[in-house]
Amino acid sequence: MADTQIPPVLDEDVVAPQPGGATTAEVEGLSDKPKSFGRLAWERFLGHRMALVGAAGLLLLIALFWIGPYFSEFSFDERNVRDRKLGPSTEHWFGTDEIGRDLFVRTAQGGRYSLQIGALAALIATGAGTLLGALAGYFGKTVDALVSQLINLTLIVPAIIVLSVFANKWGADALGLALVLAALLWTRIARVVRGVILQIKEQEYIMAARAAGATHKRILARHLLPNVVGAIAVEITLLIGSVIVLESTLSFLGLGVKPPNASLGTLVAQAKGDIDSDPIRVLTPGIFIVLIVLCVNFLGDGLRDALDPRAKVDDGGAGKAAKKAAKAARKDAKKMKSSGTVVVGA
Amino acid sequence: MFAYVTRRVLIAVPMLLVAMYLVHVGVSATVDPRSEFYVCLPRCQEGFDRITEQYNLDTNIFLRPFGYFSELARGNLGDSSSIGEPVWDTLKTRGWNTAMIAIPAFLIGAILSLLLSVYSARRQYSIGDYTFTGLSFIGFAMPSFVMALLLQHIFAVKLEQLFGIKPFNTGRKTGENFLQLARDVTLPAVSLAILGIAADSRFGRASMLETLNQDYIRTARAKGLKEGKVVWKHALRNALIPLVTLWALGFSALLGGSVVTESIFSWPGIGQVFLRALGDADLDLLMAIVMFGGVLTVTFNLIADVLYGVLDPRIRLG
Repeated sequence: MADTQIPPVLDEDVVAPQPGGATTAEVEGLSDKPKSFGRLAWERFLGHRMALVGAAGLLLLIALFWIGPYFSEFSFDERNVRDRKLGPSTEHWFGTDEIGRDLFVRTAQGGRYSLQIGALAALIATGAGTLLGALAGYFGKTVDALVSQLINLTLIVPAIIVLSVFANKWGADALGLALVLAALLWTRIARVVRGVILQIKEQEYIMAARAAGATHKRILARHLLPNVVGAIAVEITLLIGSVIVLESTLSFLGLGVKPPNASLGTLVAQAKGDIDSDPIRVLTPGIFIVLIVLCVNFLGDGLRDALDPRAKVDDGGAGKAAKKAAKAARKDAKKMKSSGTVVVGA
Repeated sequence: MFAYVTRRVLIAVPMLLVAMYLVHVGVSATVDPRSEFYVCLPRCQEGFDRITEQYNLDTNIFLRPFGYFSELARGNLGDSSSIGEPVWDTLKTRGWNTAMIAIPAFLIGAILSLLLSVYSARRQYSIGDYTFTGLSFIGFAMPSFVMALLLQHIFAVKLEQLFGIKPFNTGRKTGENFLQLARDVTLPAVSLAILGIAADSRFGRASMLETLNQDYIRTARAKGLKEGKVVWKHALRNALIPLVTLWALGFSALLGGSVVTESIFSWPGIGQVFLRALGDADLDLLMAIVMFGGVLTVTFNLIADVLYGVLDPRIRLG
């Protein structure tokens, strides 16, 4: 029995295969049905305690922000001057602000706004970063030089200062703020995607696809980009975390979200004058920012471990993304056969 | 070494120029010093024209940077409209104030993150290691304004309320003598430092762990070197290399002025005056601050590159 391969996690005879570990049968190559990459990643993800905590926490927070206000009898901008600056009570769960608005509902709205901007900016940054990174990695030469210099230029710029200038002008609505944030945050993902593509574009199956006459667009979309899906998923999650911190900072400075909208940052800014008498009002939105970012970061770390391409090789399962790419490659090969010509060095 | 440094400089300078050009265009496009005049226009044409004249607002936006650069080359940064003195003077006094909290923050941050990364790597998976990992996760997730407000509240207000002692000032540069100044500087500097420590100590831990697992460390131990010498001399020197870049970039960001921390602690540094310049559409001052930040980043990037080359000959010669 090749039990040297069994990780120490398995102290007893365990029937179900452990995530990340291999049963004896798989080690000896007797496993008849290899698990898909998606399934392996899912199992690894379930085995990652912090990732589960992060995912559960994030779901809870989303539920709190989106569903919570329905259980409160107050609306987002309902003023009640008699109930100003109240502490937390059964009526006003998080207290009230300086003009008597219910802070639970406001915090929930702020959290929603922050999460929406975070997700939106992360998506835009990822889209732009992936596109530019893929183009740079695939075409190389001038395109690569241009994109790389653009990345370096973006990194030179003093982030918070330039963000402040732009957010001051365009930050009042969610889309504008998200665009401004994305304009500075696309570089990381572009570098990641560029690196992966540079690595795999020299592989034989890409050459085969080219020989079969696949267009650049097809090679990029079907053969190369599926390989970066994992990296992108991780980056999006981590990006959301940094976007939320940046957005709340800008809003705190009064440069991002403007009233009547509220984000967690503006809530802290409104309460900071009274911090000495009433620190709770600063703490609640502050804690929610920390919680959101913590959960998102845990989730990102978990995803990174679950989608690690090295783990893919260890577990012997063909990656879903790689499978897709292989399928597309077969299709291109078929086309080559049917057309009867071999394109050399396309 | 000389060739290496020259190469880095030759890459950095054009990069900086292009970045400055783009930033100038970007700032000119977003900040409008004439915004107050539009409502009163035919009546206040004179003031409108004066400001147009002052900032060359009637020239094409893509040509304006060249005028600015030619003035800059003559050492003329313009006059600050919101403060009413030459931008250069403002930059000098404010820069000095910012350095007063940036340098202590950098030193505290660098020393603590170094000690923490060595400790966490040497005692991997110990209670202390887990504690610092947890704390650094929180530090990562906490925005700087929450951190600064909390520190200010706890150390400058709560302590006084509870125990009647006030070890630090709430900010504001008041001090005449050194002790007073130290009380002013501590809180802003610490709240700046903590944010850096959270990231750097994680990074340093990983780097130190990698180094400690290498063969030459085992050799050093096998030949009977004292553990202290193995860790602090043989391992640290290599583990430091990746940290140096982080420190250089972190320091340049600190010197460029921290908008949030300075505004919370009412510290009269670059970050604070930047907010004022932005609010008042003080174009010359704003431009100078952004340029200053860019120059700092490029310079410290360069310093990091050179240090990298000094510490790791493979990079210099490769």
